[in-house]
Amino acid sequence: MQDRTIVIADDEAHIRHVLSMKLQNAGFRVLMATDGEEALELCLHEPPALLITDYQMPVLSGIELCRRLRDDPRTQQVPCLMLTARGFDLVGDQADRTGIVAVMSKPFSPREVLEKVNAILSACTTEQGQS
Amino acid sequence: MTSAKRLAIVTVVLICCGAAAGYYATAMALQGRWLANGANVLVLTLTAVLAVLMILLVWRQMHRAMDRLAEQLDTMSRTGQIGLVMAGEGDQLPDVVRPLNRFLTRCQGQIEQLRVANRELQIQSRIADAEKHQVEAIIYSISEAVLVTNRFDELMLANEAAERLLGFTLAGAVRQNIEQVLSDTALVRLIRDTRSHGRRSRKVVEHSLEYAGETRTFNVTLSCIATGLDEIGGVVAVLHDVTREKEIAKMKTDFVSNVSHELRTPLASIKAYVEMLIDGEAEDDRTRMEFLEVIAGESDRLGRMIDNILNIARIESGVVKVVREPLSLTAVVKEAAEVVAPQARAKTLRLTERIAPVLGQVEADRDMIYQAVLNLLSNAIKYTPEGGTITIATELDERRGVASCSVRDTGVGIPPEDLPHIFDKFFRVRSNNRMAKGTGLGLSLVKQIVETVHGGRLLVTSEPGRGSTFTIELPICHS
Repeated sequence: MQDRTIVIADDEAHIRHVLSMKLQNAGFRVLMATDGEEALELCLHEPPALLITDYQMPVLSGIELCRRLRDDPRTQQVPCLMLTARGFDLVGDQADRTGIVAVMSKPFSPREVLEKVNAILSACTTEQGQS
Repeated sequence: MTSAKRLAIVTVVLICCGAAAGYYATAMALQGRWLANGANVLVLTLTAVLAVLMILLVWRQMHRAMDRLAEQLDTMSRTGQIGLVMAGEGDQLPDVVRPLNRFLTRCQGQIEQLRVANRELQIQSRIADAEKHQVEAIIYSISEAVLVTNRFDELMLANEAAERLLGFTLAGAVRQNIEQVLSDTALVRLIRDTRSHGRRSRKVVEHSLEYAGETRTFNVTLSCIATGLDEIGGVVAVLHDVTREKEIAKMKTDFVSNVSHELRTPLASIKAYVEMLIDGEAEDDRTRMEFLEVIAGESDRLGRMIDNILNIARIESGVVKVVREPLSLTAVVKEAAEVVAPQARAKTLRLTERIAPVLGQVEADRDMIYQAVLNLLSNAIKYTPEGGTITIATELDERRGVASCSVRDTGVGIPPEDLPHIFDKFFRVRSNNRMAKGTGLGLSLVKQIVETVHGGRLLVTSEPGRGSTFTIELPICHS
């Protein structure tokens, strides 16, 4: 797993652009995908430290993308942060089945996204250190 | 004293006299007086003749009285009217007539009472019949399906809507157990449970039924018919079809959800880029300018979207102000083509015109038609790959009475399964999503403008990979 690599999946170019700039300025390496399928290929090819995905995307939705990653042994440890313009909450065992660790709604603050990314990654590092 | 009695007394007296005379004559004869013997025979004969005469008279009078009595009773039985029996002067039957009349008077009173009671019952029965027919008429005129069962769960009444919906005919199903009549076991259970619980209150249950090949949702209102204090006479079930209401409610929810999603997307960009500028994440002027352009572009997108939503809502609710005037469709089309020409050039698309003069033959709102043509041209440019051709044409068909404007492209086309939905609000062809951004409102607005506002038609033909043709048809004004 690439410790500082983050995959961003969103069909809106401006959103991809602004997020990648914020994360790159914070020292992350960012890979971008315009839909769920492209993101899945990227993640399977090079499992990132974190996936930031939109909920509603062409070809493969964000939730389906996360489920597929969870099902693949290469990517099942990849935490997912979901950004959505629709009211969406994780229900039941969805968090376990999809690996989604946080949901943020659009419009979002890039600053808060960065804080959340740092929090998720440090939590993952702590967990790995303990195990 | 009646004459019969009098005659009987006379007869007895005669017989006594005869017997005395006979005795005297017999006594004389025994003493040897022959004359007495002859007198004896004479007296006896006379007495006997008189007695017979008296008996005949009594018998005749009795017979006449009996005849009169019989005749009166016979008349009563024939006419069905009970009256008093009249005894004639000197009739021999007063002891019979008096109690008979008392009896007849009593019968007459009772019959009169029964007649009154019968009349009341008839009136009540007629009222009940009228009420029954009224209730039946009400039930039959209700568009909702109505079923009425009795306390044995037998079908008593159902209207045509219920017959159609549940697939039975009332004539063949009356007094049959609902289990045999209705194939929907869940509905049978609902009716039976309502009856067995015997609650007086109504309950409403949502229930799904297969009808005409589709699943429809009903609100079933179940009420017990109370006959006594704790007795349940049966159940009334009313099935109200709420399928359309639920669809509309879902459409509203979807619409709000879609609107909020579509509005949030450009807003998300605006908010994010503004924050980036505030946080000084843009290092140079070029990046800062790029951010500002994104903000400006997304603000325009948000504004267009709000305009589109409002226009559609105003047209749908009928509050839009329409300015109809003789319209030069040719001029409108040329103007719209000029506006999109730079975009077409930027994508190296060829924009050709085949414009027949349509000058004032249609009456329409100029701004709206301009907006509709512009939306079609923008779509054609968006979904046609570089190097393609877009042809805009106008035509006048006097025979059909329509003026048309068509926009044909050599773009990606629309899959056949998506064609029926392309005018739905917020619908976007998934496979073409990557080609361009869109809100899924543009074509919906064009349809509303052409069909709802102007009474025209919006037609589409498309072949995936080959291109699409959208045609606006407006009726020619003959005045």
